Amino acid sequence: MTETILTTRMVAHPADSHTIDRYLATGGYDALRKAVTEMTPEDVAGEVKASNMRGRGGAGFPTGVKWGFLPDTYPRYLVVNCDESEPGTFNDRQLTERDPHQLLEGAIISSYALGVSQAFVYIRGEYPKGARRLQRAIDEATAAGFLGENILDSDFSLTVTIHLGGGAYICGEETALLNSLEGRRGEPRLKPPFPAIEGLYAKPTIVNNVESISNIPWITLNGGNAYASIGPERSAGTKMLSISGHINKPGNYEIVMGMTWRELIYEVGGGIPGDKGLKAWIPGGASAPWFIPSLHLDTLVTFDDVGQNGSMIGAGAVVVMDETTDVVAAAHSIVRFFAHESCGQCTPCREGTSWLQAVLERIMSGGGRLEDIDLLLDVSDNISPGLKWPPAMTTICPLGPSATAPVSSIIKYFRDEVEAMIGTTEVANV
Amino acid sequence: MSDATSTVSITINGVDHEVEAGARLISAAERVGEYIPRFCHHDKLEPVGKCRMCLVEVEGPRGSQLVPSCTMPVSDGMVVDTQSDVVKKAQEGVLEFLLINHPLDCPVCDKGGECPLQDQAYSHGPGESRFVEEKRTFVKPIPVSDVVLLDRERCVLCDRCVRVADDIAGDPLLVFNERGNQVQILTFPGEPFASYFSGNTVQVCPVGALTSVDYRFKARPWDLVSTTSVSLRDTVHSNVEIHTSRGKVVRVYGAENDSVNDGWLSDKDRFSFSALDAEDRVTTPLVATGDGFAEATWPEAIDTVAARLGSCMGTEVGSIGGANNTNEEAYVLSKFMRSVIGTPHIDAQLGDGINPQLAAAVTPRATLTDLDSVSTIFVWGPDLKETLPVLYLRVRKAVRNGTNLVVASPAATGLDGIATHVIRYRAGAGHDALRKLASGDGSLKVVSHLLAAGSVVTLFGRSSISEDERLAEAVASFARTLDGPGSLPLLGRGNTFGALDMGLANNLLPGRVSTGDAAGAAAIEDAWGLIPESAGLDTMGMLNAAVAGDIKAIVLVGADPVRDCPDPALAVAALEAAEFVVAIDAFVTDSSTHADVILPAALWSEVEGSVTNLEGRVQSVQSALPPKGRARSLIGTLSDVASAMGADLNAHDVAIVSKEIASVAPAYGGVSRDFLIFEGDADGVIVPTTAGHQPLGYIATDVSVPLVTDRFTLHFPRSMYDDGVTTRHAGSISGLVNESFVRINPRDASMLAVEDGSTVELAGTIRMPARLDPEVSEGSVVVPFNVEATKGLTASASLSVQAVRGEG
Amino acid sequence: MTNVISHWSRANQERAATMIASYPDRRSALMPLLYLATLEHEFVTEVAMVEVAELVGITPAQVQSVASFYTMFKREPVGDYLVSVCTSITCHLLGGDEVLASVEDATQTPRGSTSEDGRFSVERAECIGACGGAPALQVNYELIEGLTPDKASALVKWLADTTPAVVLADEMQQLFGGQRSFDWGPTDSEGATGAVPAFAPYGSSEAGR
Repeated sequence: MTETILTTRMVAHPADSHTIDRYLATGGYDALRKAVTEMTPEDVAGEVKASNMRGRGGAGFPTGVKWGFLPDTYPRYLVVNCDESEPGTFNDRQLTERDPHQLLEGAIISSYALGVSQAFVYIRGEYPKGARRLQRAIDEATAAGFLGENILDSDFSLTVTIHLGGGAYICGEETALLNSLEGRRGEPRLKPPFPAIEGLYAKPTIVNNVESISNIPWITLNGGNAYASIGPERSAGTKMLSISGHINKPGNYEIVMGMTWRELIYEVGGGIPGDKGLKAWIPGGASAPWFIPSLHLDTLVTFDDVGQNGSMIGAGAVVVMDETTDVVAAAHSIVRFFAHESCGQCTPCREGTSWLQAVLERIMSGGGRLEDIDLLLDVSDNISPGLKWPPAMTTICPLGPSATAPVSSIIKYFRDEVEAMIGTTEVANV
Repeated sequence: MSDATSTVSITINGVDHEVEAGARLISAAERVGEYIPRFCHHDKLEPVGKCRMCLVEVEGPRGSQLVPSCTMPVSDGMVVDTQSDVVKKAQEGVLEFLLINHPLDCPVCDKGGECPLQDQAYSHGPGESRFVEEKRTFVKPIPVSDVVLLDRERCVLCDRCVRVADDIAGDPLLVFNERGNQVQILTFPGEPFASYFSGNTVQVCPVGALTSVDYRFKARPWDLVSTTSVSLRDTVHSNVEIHTSRGKVVRVYGAENDSVNDGWLSDKDRFSFSALDAEDRVTTPLVATGDGFAEATWPEAIDTVAARLGSCMGTEVGSIGGANNTNEEAYVLSKFMRSVIGTPHIDAQLGDGINPQLAAAVTPRATLTDLDSVSTIFVWGPDLKETLPVLYLRVRKAVRNGTNLVVASPAATGLDGIATHVIRYRAGAGHDALRKLASGDGSLKVVSHLLAAGSVVTLFGRSSISEDERLAEAVASFARTLDGPGSLPLLGRGNTFGALDMGLANNLLPGRVSTGDAAGAAAIEDAWGLIPESAGLDTMGMLNAAVAGDIKAIVLVGADPVRDCPDPALAVAALEAAEFVVAIDAFVTDSSTHADVILPAALWSEVEGSVTNLEGRVQSVQSALPPKGRARSLIGTLSDVASAMGADLNAHDVAIVSKEIASVAPAYGGVSRDFLIFEGDADGVIVPTTAGHQPLGYIATDVSVPLVTDRFTLHFPRSMYDDGVTTRHAGSISGLVNESFVRINPRDASMLAVEDGSTVELAGTIRMPARLDPEVSEGSVVVPFNVEATKGLTASASLSVQAVRGEG
Repeated sequence: MTNVISHWSRANQERAATMIASYPDRRSALMPLLYLATLEHEFVTEVAMVEVAELVGITPAQVQSVASFYTMFKREPVGDYLVSVCTSITCHLLGGDEVLASVEDATQTPRGSTSEDGRFSVERAECIGACGGAPALQVNYELIEGLTPDKASALVKWLADTTPAVVLADEMQQLFGGQRSFDWGPTDSEGATGAVPAFAPYGSSEAGR
């Protein structure tokens, strides 16, 4: 809690943390200077690998390992993924709007490490303020010699281009994002090949999340080992969590992982408004299976502990639901989201998510049948066989299985409420 | 190129198999007898893994995983289960997903009875639907082009049609729209799916979403009789299945022959069949009455023809055409003209082709499959997309796989967009460009180096009917200096190569024997009796001779020189001057209307026989129907005429003729129909192209073609939907005849004060709208050949171009 | 090439050229150009798609295929103020559906439609990244957080009355917003002039100019 990396500047200087003056006054671009004057690209990549930072976009794959997959061919591209759209998340938005130079410096250092001369930042179209602030940062950095030709008089040159999305959650999936950036439909590609081998314009490409990239200046300055020493071993560093819903102090929190969910919700988040009871929470965004107080309050907030309990930290979105929550309506909101955001290219996701939505809507409007519970589970099973964790899938990408998480969660934990809404429980039938 | 023979071991359902390395699991499994259901997978299309029907379990480090077998390459030691409970559940789940929004209108669906969705629902699907919600609905069907209809409710979004349109045909006009469960296939408003290859989408559609206007509600699959044959719409000879129902051809499908057409067809291959039943088809002999034609009996007509031909000296008779007939028919025509009539004046081409000896016996001659393995393809000839569309697809495929492409043409061609280099020369200045290319430096240095750097197949021919035919010979000569398997000559009309091989040329005898080859001619005389010794006149020579009175009788065999030769006025004059004209044709054309007698001809699909494509590949065509009305095969017609003249052609049926060809025509030694059908490769047989039994090895020479320097030189190319006889009579595609305009360079246009769309006058006679096109070389114009608007225009090397004031 | 968009504003023609030049492959400029075309034509018309197709060298069908995939490229006329109300999970929990109903009421415009006077378009939006300030909505993609049905209703009435030419998130937030996801920092003067994200390279304006 005392240790912060990403939010230090914006907390200390809320009035101007996004400006280059404030950035320079607080050590900004020192990391870049260190990188290009004292370190080889391999040195920088080595520090990132040593940091053990796991990608902050949701999948949790170690960033340094990902960087190591690049084949020895050029050009290569870096794409910063700021298509943050997972319901419950808003931390990338804050990092982009409030400390754009930190993100930009991370992108410049990463490009140096990766041998990239053109980087893209894909920002969702609904974040114009973030795009404006980052563009201003790009302009300021270019004028100051941190970007452009021969950065800080080195041989390293870079352009950074902002690309706005068009309103499609699926473009947060890295290969869909690349298609979108190429002017195509945002449909996920088949993998392999992975973007590191064949990405943007079929060239080697690294796609990293905003939070991951924003950590790079600190890692460069302080060393990978310093980062790795923060927090639990396999959940190193700090993590931005977005806490929202029925919570007294919603917001983004940069935490060191390892606390319990009880501490997170009741201490960090300030507890439930009106001291109402906690019914359930989503530990890692709309895609994640739900947690409930009777089972998970003392589970630790780490990648692995959450994973072992059948859910995920994901992009770090915690959505808290109090005892008054209509769980069917809540699940429906999430299922509707995924049905709306399904790209539609593969059958189970295209047809299955909409089917789940339709059945939930029928139940909510009083047309439920008792067999609908089994139907919901079986349709979910046909999208994500076994409804296990990590999810198996009949689909091309994880979006379809994500839609099954709230469905299986409410049937697993709140079956009686679903049955009550259907109104034809077996008791009633007798 | 991977080693085609290397294999890996995989286990499918507990049984070990050796399968081709690098193959996709779904294909490897199918080859060893394990069929995995699929909708989006298609052997000839890139995998997309979209339908998810082909999920199987593959063992991996983290246990068994469901994977789509269409995208998964096989690897050594792979253990696969295609029948586990997990697999069955997944496949049944996918099928259910596909059916929930499907209209289930099978009884009124053209696909019903041959529908994979229907079949798999029957064999894999649950008995009743658990889907009680409202189904997705769309307006249906909607036309996506003049020949294809789309029913979006039936569509399973497998992406096959989109891949055919974009990847195969290069016409990304049929695309996915919207997102999620609103995804649908659509065209852009006002921009129909006007692809030359649109019919392939109907054939690959795994459901009844895409149907052809022609076939809609025409037949049920179980009523269809299928006949395997070969399309004669161009010289590629794409393999087809002709589907007949109740005595009519109702549908033509592409058949897979990877050596020829990969299963694809052009829309002309696919939809021309409706000409068979055109209302104005000639189905009975006709005799000119002075103001039209009267029907006649066959004996009356035969007697008239025999008497009139018999009254001429042999060399006063000429024969034009025969390029749309079978080899057997062509052989009999050649034999009839040479041995019965006694004339050497024979030509299957209409002055629009190339030297017959070069076309028949170019040395060395490449094959179509060579296109897949060379480093560069060099095209200097007609626009392949317009004239040899399936060859265009083959070149596209090679380029997709990394082959370089060099295209030389006086105007933009369909291949320019994917070419590594385009050589653009002013019409009439081709030889100049060739000289630059051959010299290896100057502006074409890079191209010369590319051509010299690896193996090359050269595709050569006349870029248009106004181009000097000797340029093609010069290109063929240049091609001989390049490494690689050789060249392919490009000629358009159906069985031209078969006709030339059978001796339908002024300088060729059957089996690629030159008329100058005394020993070869003597061998043929042994079989036929006496034949004329020297070479004869070609088509243009015959037409001139007719005007001069030296040719008195003309036999037109499915030929329309008035519309199809370089000098229409000459053709009219010749046909009017001739004392007797007999047209063996299926239609009254601008030429056959001048005939004294019209004998109704059987058409493609009504006769059986052999045909030879541009590689020299001999394949079998089958009759799917009897000839319409009283139409007859050329063999029967000529036998009867010969008989009435007291001669015996020994041509009682195709089998007899075929055997005679196999024994008389040297290059065809042993290649009889029986051999093709019972012993030959299913892909057909390429008759020898070098040495061996081919007596003629034609070495093209670098003839010097004079530069044309006039103000406006003419590029006069054919297009796919020109006003050709068959296109005009094929209902569904007859409306597709290309729009007519003169393309002119904007600088020339501004000098002439011509604007886009304004009217210009060509050669002082023809008026057409102009289209400004920077791709046209300055000083030349591009005018479409054989369209209504340019009817009668002479294919001269140059012409006058003038703005027409007060119009346009 | 400049031919097809010669009727576009000079600024947008220049923007188009800059966009195309900023990518290694011109097709990448497709989505930015669709935003520009929206400013030119008020929505992504068929004419706009033909123009964009020509600019990036693909078919109009391919442009439509891409445009129709994304929710922010409007292919129907859109009102002066596009009001996008979030009802994804956190906003749903905290009253987003009621806010949406209130906006529909106040504008007399059902979700998914445009008011008869062309003033408003109302739509249900999926998560707009304002969960810490839920419920939230956007006007021409400019954000307001911490809404209530009443404040939302007051907001659209204010828009109808004052008809601002440039829509500013900070101004609307100050007047009608509440709880924010985080401290936004100092106010911005750059805002949206239509249903296109207010981002200078894609077209935006400084208020009060």
